[in-house]
Amino acid sequence: MLSVMEIYQLTPKTNCKKCGLPTCMAFAVALLGKEKKVVDCPPLMEEAKYQAKREKLIEAMAPIEGASETGLIIHEEKCYGCGNCVVACPVNVANDPKGTALGFGPTNDKAILVVEDGVVKCLNVEECRRFGPNKILCNACTATCPSKAIEFV
Amino acid sequence: MMAICTGCSLLCEDIEVDFKDGRISTTKNLCRKGLGRYRSLYTERASPRVDGREAGLDDAISRAAGLLKEAKRPLLFGWSNSTLEAQSAGLDLAQKLGAVIDDTSSFCQGELLEMVLKGELPTCTLDDVRNYADMIFYWGSDPSNSHPRHMSRFSYYPRGEKRQRGYDEDRTAFVVDVRLSPTASMIKEGFFKLAPGGDASFMESMLAALGGKIPRLQDKKKVIAMVNTMKRADFGAIFPGLGLAYSMKGRMDILKRLVDGLNETSKYSVIPMVGHFNMRGFNQMLFEKTGFINRVSFADGVEHGPKQSIIEASKSCDVALIIGSDPISALPGGVARSLAKIPTIVIDPHRSLTSELAQVIIPSALSGMEAGGSAIRMDGVRVEFEPIVQGGGSLPDVEILKRIAEAV
Amino acid sequence: MSLELSIVTVRDIFQSEVQEVGRFSSEYQKMSAIIILDKGDTKTLGVADGGRLLVESSSGSVVVGAKVDDQPHKGLAFMPNSPWSNQLVSEETGESRIPEYKSIQAEVSTTDDSITDLSEILARMRE
Repeated sequence: MLSVMEIYQLTPKTNCKKCGLPTCMAFAVALLGKEKKVVDCPPLMEEAKYQAKREKLIEAMAPIEGASETGLIIHEEKCYGCGNCVVACPVNVANDPKGTALGFGPTNDKAILVVEDGVVKCLNVEECRRFGPNKILCNACTATCPSKAIEFV
Repeated sequence: MMAICTGCSLLCEDIEVDFKDGRISTTKNLCRKGLGRYRSLYTERASPRVDGREAGLDDAISRAAGLLKEAKRPLLFGWSNSTLEAQSAGLDLAQKLGAVIDDTSSFCQGELLEMVLKGELPTCTLDDVRNYADMIFYWGSDPSNSHPRHMSRFSYYPRGEKRQRGYDEDRTAFVVDVRLSPTASMIKEGFFKLAPGGDASFMESMLAALGGKIPRLQDKKKVIAMVNTMKRADFGAIFPGLGLAYSMKGRMDILKRLVDGLNETSKYSVIPMVGHFNMRGFNQMLFEKTGFINRVSFADGVEHGPKQSIIEASKSCDVALIIGSDPISALPGGVARSLAKIPTIVIDPHRSLTSELAQVIIPSALSGMEAGGSAIRMDGVRVEFEPIVQGGGSLPDVEILKRIAEAV
Repeated sequence: MSLELSIVTVRDIFQSEVQEVGRFSSEYQKMSAIIILDKGDTKTLGVADGGRLLVESSSGSVVVGAKVDDQPHKGLAFMPNSPWSNQLVSEETGESRIPEYKSIQAEVSTTDDSITDLSEILARMRE
């Protein structure tokens, strides 16, 4: 998983404030928290001397920007489709006592995690315990994955 | 549309399938292995062939019947991917021909399943496990790879009648394996790593601990703690896989002693991790009919024994009918070479190494998708299913076998 | 360089999926014709991930690709259960008539030969 320091190393480190934040370190934190995007840093995007850093940062940020609002990343190529996460997810269980709670696939459309075409997908992300300002760091889905196919950034 | 999956012996019944232009477009709840079975509807399908040339279905069936009729010692092998109806027709054909009949359990879970069917090992259903089990033991099995939804549907993660609080509070699991498998990686505290072939001595250590003695092998404290935890359980389920089946062959009395010992203070059941979707169905059917689960010859009454096993029959039979199985892929090279030398009839939805070498190929409908029928889940529960797609013109196994039997 | 190794066959879900879909596909060969080795053993052999290895037992031989495991298991190797691993399994089965699928003794050495393909295995069957 990418750290704030690693991201910071790829910023201009000039604290120019053009992104609206006081320092490049604050910008790095915002990038990791998905509050800012790489394109929000004008010098990095426009100045030729930062080309190498820009390319590295965009590459490094790709999985994070592709993650859901809760930071969940799904590596489809690693997923077994076993449904462990679907059945272990406390929100799925609470919302579907006759379906996912008992080991079946979801029987209504409230599920956060579902298996489609052999691969897990994330829906209704706002229901996840990691969503929003009052989030809890629940890891029921990642802890039950046999192949590290899902992780949080 | 709801469907079942014949990808393994869990026979998952909650598969949702959507169609577009008559083809399956999306599926829900299938694991990767099951998805493979569904995708195979459209890939590498077999077509009727006789002696290496394209042929009509009628020609293929009559050539098959001719070969079987002339054979002195025909072998009928496969069956674990066939419906109960097809297995029953196969059994009739074997009796009519005086043939040898054997299935994949012969080099797989046969020994354990026989003990279960004979009542030598107590067993229960997977639904019982989900509802009541607080102690789960995966021994030489890696369900994550072999039966991907085993843990989520039944054995570890789901809630059940007496297990309402979730796996981390309600269930304890142990894994015994020669490697940190994906299954073991989720149950690290309960993982015991053995050297290959070390299962029997590990079992002896558990027996010692169970009898209040100090185990001689392994981490003594860890084994004693495990056995004490196991003794305190209300309802235990042991899932032996091929790792245990191969390591302990001929010595399953030790497993029986262990299970008996555990049952003195608690309740323990064994469910062998049967691979193919209806292997148990074949074993149960043959057992009810003959008292044996596999390796039977009807040449002179009912004969059973190693001579009637696929390993021996590959060398001693003069014609083979192979259904829903690819023994040229699955047998040791040397045995496969013997089998390749005799005229072979293959009934299968797909091309296989065995069909590449066969004299007669009869394509069949894919059970569970193109053909309905019934099957026995790994735990003995009967599951019935209807076809969900129109067959691509191939007949169900049972029809093919009946037509061969009529023509013999 | 060569090494004596014990080989245990294992199940792999992705290989099982591909086996269902296409036994004759290049993907199936890629996922089946492999041997998973301890990192130290690959160093002794002088083989990198993806390098080719000749695996010989008293029953037969195949050329497969090397795969380096994160887990240590010196002297022990894993192969997915497949026609490739089965070329190494002895036809001597003892009283049980169950082959030693999970207990294969083999000599493993680096090679420049190409990976054994299914047509070659089929040709051996026809001999």
